[in-house]
Amino acid sequence: MSSSVMLVREHESGGVQELPLRPGPKKKRGPSRAKAGRFTPGVLLLPALVILAVVIGWPLVQLFVMSFQEFGRAQVFGAPAPFVGFDNYTKVLSDPQFWAVLLRSVLFCLANVITAMVLGTLVALLMNRVNRFFKVLVSVGLLLAWAMPALTATIVWGWMFDTQYGVVNYLLEAVTGQDFTNHSWLIDPFSFFVVATIIVTWGAVPFVAFTIFAGLTQVPEEVLEAAQLDGAGGWKRFRLIVFPYLRSIFVVVIILQVIWDLRVFTQIFALQGIGGIKEETSTLGVYIYQTSLGKGDYGTGGAIAVIMVILMVSISLVYVRRSLKQEES
Amino acid sequence: MSAVVSARRPARRPSARKRTTGILLGAASVVVFLFSVFPVYWMVNTSLQPNNEIRGSVPNFVPQNLTTSNYVTVLFEPSRAPFLPALGNSLMVTVSTVVIALVFAFLASLAVTRYRFKSRKTFIFVILIIQMIPAEAMIVSTYRVLDGWGLLNTIAGLTLVYVATVLPFTIWTLRGFVNGVPVELEEAAMIDGCSRSGAFWRITFPLLAPGLVATGVFGFIQAWNEFLLALVVNSRPEMMTLPVWLRTFQQTTGTTDWAAIMAGSTLMAIPVIVFFLLVQGRMTSGLVGGAVKG
Amino acid sequence: MNTMRKTTLAVTALGVTAALALAGCAGGSSSGGNTDAAATGDIRVWLNGTDTPQAARDYLKTTFESEHPGSTLTIEEQAWTGLVDKLTTNLSGSDSPDVVEVGNTQAAAFTSAGAFLDLTDQYDALGGSDLLPGFVEAGSYDGKFFAAPYYSGARLVFYKKDLLAKAGLTVPTTLDQYISNGVALAAANPGVSGIYFPGQDWYNALPYIWENGGEIATQSGATWTSSFSSPESIAGLKQVQEVMTKASVAPKDGNETDPQVPFCEGVIANLSAPSWVKGSILAPADAKAPGCPDQEANLGVYALPGKSGGAAHVFAGGSNIAVSAKSAHPELAKDALAIMLSDDYQTILGKAGLVPAKVSLASTIGTDDVAKATAEAAANAKLTPASPKWADVEASGALQDFFVAIGQGGDVTALAQALDQKIDGILNS
Repeated sequence: MSSSVMLVREHESGGVQELPLRPGPKKKRGPSRAKAGRFTPGVLLLPALVILAVVIGWPLVQLFVMSFQEFGRAQVFGAPAPFVGFDNYTKVLSDPQFWAVLLRSVLFCLANVITAMVLGTLVALLMNRVNRFFKVLVSVGLLLAWAMPALTATIVWGWMFDTQYGVVNYLLEAVTGQDFTNHSWLIDPFSFFVVATIIVTWGAVPFVAFTIFAGLTQVPEEVLEAAQLDGAGGWKRFRLIVFPYLRSIFVVVIILQVIWDLRVFTQIFALQGIGGIKEETSTLGVYIYQTSLGKGDYGTGGAIAVIMVILMVSISLVYVRRSLKQEES
Repeated sequence: MSAVVSARRPARRPSARKRTTGILLGAASVVVFLFSVFPVYWMVNTSLQPNNEIRGSVPNFVPQNLTTSNYVTVLFEPSRAPFLPALGNSLMVTVSTVVIALVFAFLASLAVTRYRFKSRKTFIFVILIIQMIPAEAMIVSTYRVLDGWGLLNTIAGLTLVYVATVLPFTIWTLRGFVNGVPVELEEAAMIDGCSRSGAFWRITFPLLAPGLVATGVFGFIQAWNEFLLALVVNSRPEMMTLPVWLRTFQQTTGTTDWAAIMAGSTLMAIPVIVFFLLVQGRMTSGLVGGAVKG
Repeated sequence: MNTMRKTTLAVTALGVTAALALAGCAGGSSSGGNTDAAATGDIRVWLNGTDTPQAARDYLKTTFESEHPGSTLTIEEQAWTGLVDKLTTNLSGSDSPDVVEVGNTQAAAFTSAGAFLDLTDQYDALGGSDLLPGFVEAGSYDGKFFAAPYYSGARLVFYKKDLLAKAGLTVPTTLDQYISNGVALAAANPGVSGIYFPGQDWYNALPYIWENGGEIATQSGATWTSSFSSPESIAGLKQVQEVMTKASVAPKDGNETDPQVPFCEGVIANLSAPSWVKGSILAPADAKAPGCPDQEANLGVYALPGKSGGAAHVFAGGSNIAVSAKSAHPELAKDALAIMLSDDYQTILGKAGLVPAKVSLASTIGTDDVAKATAEAAANAKLTPASPKWADVEASGALQDFFVAIGQGGDVTALAQALDQKIDGILNS
């Protein structure tokens, strides 16, 4: 969370920190120290690179190769896997279900990112305004929500939205007077995604709120007060003063939210186990799981994964190029 | 800081309006709190009731017959997968993941912030892309890699994968923190006779405390909660982690013991909450400390 | 009709046996080429869920370890959920379990992939023609025997005697009467399911298709044709829809877990469920999963009636058991498997209400109502298509989705055609 504070500074003082250090120590006290100090970027990167290459890189290569093969359960057990060219890709791209899943995932992602960002920002602004007692109260609540494992959270929410014994149906009936007995929340795909959005947002708001709150504490009080004296309203102050300070935090948080929400798996998967129609509620992550491990068609599953990565890369390319350019300047 | 502000404000604003705003904001805080906490409360509430009372037509908002029997069931019943070994496995995997990931990520983030080298941009870009790869697609390949190294059913194997999973995010985020520590500080230390590595460890590293905590929290959550890979890779019961342990309560053909699931979920959430509360203070104090720009 | 069916089964069984005998001659030496017969080791046995009673587990462990001094046997309980994923990876790895239980409808996915050790030469020793024929078929591939029957179970109908009597109805003797009873009971008791039918419970929908002469899928040569949209199947599916919409108030997207809860709450008149659900219903009120033991006198049971009387074709759930091809101690594993198919072990299963893997032990399930109904139902039980890809159809969740849509009152014909297309795609991929 506090990461973002630093990210702000990275943005602010872009010119200063980029002073490249001359490699090697400037002054040495003793030979042993000097030796220990002779780090090079290669050495520093080595541990991370090795582990990424072994655990992500190599399986990724396999996945990529697999996406051009006929790779089913028999191949897992050692049968030779024939190459089929782009067959898996054409199969995926010509499958209307894939496009439905893709569209659904994108919409779900958008809805969740927007909801989480708006609510998270509001909560952060709230925390910045209230007194210590309420600040602690909100923090404790957010911490508890954040600490709940996604699987557990989905089970609990699913239990709360249970058709027959759910507390939500009970409360709605008590409050609105309408009949919510045996109301199924998951059977209608739209309603299913409303529940899923509540669960995902509930888990995402703490991260967003804490991060933005950490950023808010960095906005100089004097600037805000000056603006207030000039008669700037709340929204205007946020838009013209706070937001520019937090711009890079927002960008980072949004990017992360997009990545996480687009590949959402646990919440949807667990919720499908509780109710709903799988085919109308699968998102990309779940669809890949169903294709690979469910149906045992690893080739096609690999192809979907590759398509998904290409898609996400192209979405984020714009951002990455800009931010890297910013760093260079 | 806020004391100064609140001392000044009454002079400028009509106090009635301020009071209304205060009440509204307080109410909003309470709403946020309730919405955040209710599911957690509902989990604990369910876990403290006898199983035959949790499915009534009227839910009990407070346990009518408070019982700890569900906890006794999940902890001690011999026919259940044992809790303590699973807790031990989860703790070992999670702690190792966080420590290793932080150290490796710290080194890597130094490389990408303090040095200019050709493939630097590529590396940062790759780090971002890795986070987009759907893990579900890689399970079979990952399984084979671990199998090839003889790391199935080991803490090391699972740790290795989790480290790789959280490393990109950790590097990416730590990079921002390291950028925030002025190079001048290190240079000054080096002029004072520190070696370059000494400058890193003595000056930069302590200043990164809040960053390390923040990214460590992320790694902790990831490793603690991961389910699918742990299920497949650590198939021996004695190597089970907590999410897999929790899943054993939910059977498709047997009976789902909701009260026990909620008790298990509570037990699983407690270490995370404790960890959060522990580091929270450090995180905020670190924030203030980190705010000194040197 | 009954006799005809039995003949078919007998012929199938004979065919398999013959093929097995031939294959056995040819492959006997190669499959037995292990040299560690005398070696000791730890045998890991994967059993799924809680279906296998504790007494059987104890018997297996004690017997195995006393017969093989120095060796140990560990039973590792697996969840049915995610089992196929776990088997796919773990059976292919170097740390494979030795003996695994697999759902009978999942068996083909692994026999065809070469995940199991060829047990053809053990076929006779394990029980030969005494083994449940449908399950032998499910565990065989390409004329070889890979996975032995473990146990079977049949779905029975549990009912509340008082509700039936109050409505002036009797135990139905035909499927149509069963349905009309259900609709009448639901109409007479608002909020009560005349027949409890949650939308995802697709196993319970199969009898309607089979009784109307429909099939799930048919095979000609190497091609499978899904036939949910055949006129016979449609007739059955319309009955399913009638039951779901007019006789059941169960959640339309609910699944079949925990039926004893609504049953004990008194909102179910008829419940079609596996035989062991009786134990859940009558579990003590203070048990982990409490039942309603006070209902014992009021609890009746019968086998689902067929279209023209007799017992309906119900789905034969159950398990097969096999030795992993990657087992480090195949001979020990085979011995463990042999113990699990021994008369003593199977009798323990029978006494626990499961249909034993051997026809000759059918009487061990006892003589009470449940046992009688089980025997009747098991005699007519049918299996899902014996295609290696069938497990993938189940795993895709298409069947659950289909019946949820049926329960919501969707257009049966259109839905069935769409489902056929989807299943054809999976079975013939």
